[in-house]
Amino acid sequence: MSAPRNNPIVLALERVSKTYSSDGQRVPAVADVSLEIKRGEFVLLLGPSGSGKTTILTLLAGFLQPTSGTVRLLGKSTAEMHPDDLQRERARSMGFVFQNFLLLDALTVLENVVIVQEFCGTARTEARANARRLLNRLGVGHLASRFPPSLSHGERQRVAIARALANDAGIILADEPTASLESSQAREIAEILGRLVTEEGRCMVVASHDLRLCHHAQKIIHLRDGHVERIEKKA
Amino acid sequence: MILYALRILRDQPFRLGFTVGGIALCIVLILFLAAVYRGVREGSIDYIRANEADLWVLQGSATNILRGSSILLQAHGGVLENVEGVETVAPVFFLLSSVTIGERSSTVYLTGFESRTGLGGPPRLAGGRIAAGEGEIVLDRSFARKFGLVLEDTVRIRNQTLRVVGLSEGTNMFVIQYAFVTLEQARNLAGYPGLVTCFLVRLKDPADRERVRADIREDFEDLEVFTHDEFLANNIREMESGFLPLLLVLALLGAVVLTIILSLILSMNILERRNDFAVLKALGSPRRTLRVIVMAQAFILGWAGSLAGFVAIGPLAGVVETLAPEVSTRIEMTMLGATFGSTGLMNLLSGWIALRRIRSVYPLEVFR
Repeated sequence: MSAPRNNPIVLALERVSKTYSSDGQRVPAVADVSLEIKRGEFVLLLGPSGSGKTTILTLLAGFLQPTSGTVRLLGKSTAEMHPDDLQRERARSMGFVFQNFLLLDALTVLENVVIVQEFCGTARTEARANARRLLNRLGVGHLASRFPPSLSHGERQRVAIARALANDAGIILADEPTASLESSQAREIAEILGRLVTEEGRCMVVASHDLRLCHHAQKIIHLRDGHVERIEKKA
Repeated sequence: MILYALRILRDQPFRLGFTVGGIALCIVLILFLAAVYRGVREGSIDYIRANEADLWVLQGSATNILRGSSILLQAHGGVLENVEGVETVAPVFFLLSSVTIGERSSTVYLTGFESRTGLGGPPRLAGGRIAAGEGEIVLDRSFARKFGLVLEDTVRIRNQTLRVVGLSEGTNMFVIQYAFVTLEQARNLAGYPGLVTCFLVRLKDPADRERVRADIREDFEDLEVFTHDEFLANNIREMESGFLPLLLVLALLGAVVLTIILSLILSMNILERRNDFAVLKALGSPRRTLRVIVMAQAFILGWAGSLAGFVAIGPLAGVVETLAPEVSTRIEMTMLGATFGSTGLMNLLSGWIALRRIRSVYPLEVFR
């Protein structure tokens, strides 16, 4: 895993605020949020729609820069990183799981998992072998040659998780990963995400309003109107 | 990435076919114009190029036979023959002349030459023989085809009936074609028996051309004397200063249209796959990867269209030459190679234009 080796804090928000402008109005999405997310930690950003969950996730990924405050990825301020360096670090250290899976429909399941490894310069043969291993581990190895539209939602999300793990990323950011799944599939996906933390020591940050994920989280951050309402820590 | 580019294209087979077809049409247009350019250019100068004269002697200030006039006295020829080093002097008479074929008429570049030396005659014969006597004419092959004339048919020039005894090649100037008769016949038709247009001079030793030229100029200050290469260059220059550059401009416009079509299609593909590109950016794709996807599409489409155009141009040129025999086309391998290479540049430019669309795709879009 390419997670930070020395510093246990892999992601941090230091008094971060993010304000959007809409029709001349300034709309605060996140207000004065400070967070530290450590290696091997499962953090759940919980809150209703508009509470700022996704904004925090995109700030952590460096897709957004804060209006004020500092976002740190592996100890480095994302605002001070060159966009290419940030992109390289993102490919190497971060995996993403989205609500709507966002697999590339023109590529097979296997190719979807291979393509992200090419971003990091992994050789094609090695990338294919790694992709097969990951797909097998997630129980979708038999679907390797299929195209995403022919898969069930649960299968697609497993492929998306395989893709997130393809570069052995230490940090997994997931945006509503169970929202598009039926109950049993959602439970399975939550289990898989939980195991990635407990068994492999990855850092997992999930934005969701699905309470089933609470069971796996070590830290639950309750958000409301862009503010951290409370932080719930579990042993 | 190239695989992904291919799959994107394959997913829209109608658009793929439409795009490749559109590019192929542009390539056909470009190649056709280039082929006409070459055909007309070469057809216009083949006559001069194939001529074996070492020197061309014309009236002062005349530099070419395509768009220049020269009138000399036959008597000059006798004097030229006496210049040291001259082996043969062949007078040639050019005349723009109306030809009547049945009820129709057209204009030819009537060329009178001495069949005795052969100098000034048709560069190549596609059939029959050269005109050797009174009442005989050799027509350009494409001219004959246009009017449905064959050997032994007759045409009329200034109330004289001439029998077609030969068909020539390399004598089609697109706007007009050469026709060959004997020198006497041409002069009689023109009504100036003592005049010629120029003299073609062969030397005993071609290496003496500069000395002989100097001697002729010394004897006749009012004459222009050109070596074969100079005269050829003069006529090429004259030809290229006419309408030919227009063909190249039109071909260039075809290239611009191709570039626009390709860049629009690529931009449309990017917009339709906007979400995919946003996902790729979000997953950490380097800029180079996205460029490769767009450029791969540009080159696949551009070169597939080129190849389709290359396949189509031969039959198309054949059809055009059948319908309009005077439209002489010449397709050469170098032309195909240059077009293929130019298409590469157009692909690159189209891809570069389309890549600007990628810049406006943000990874944040995947979180909507």
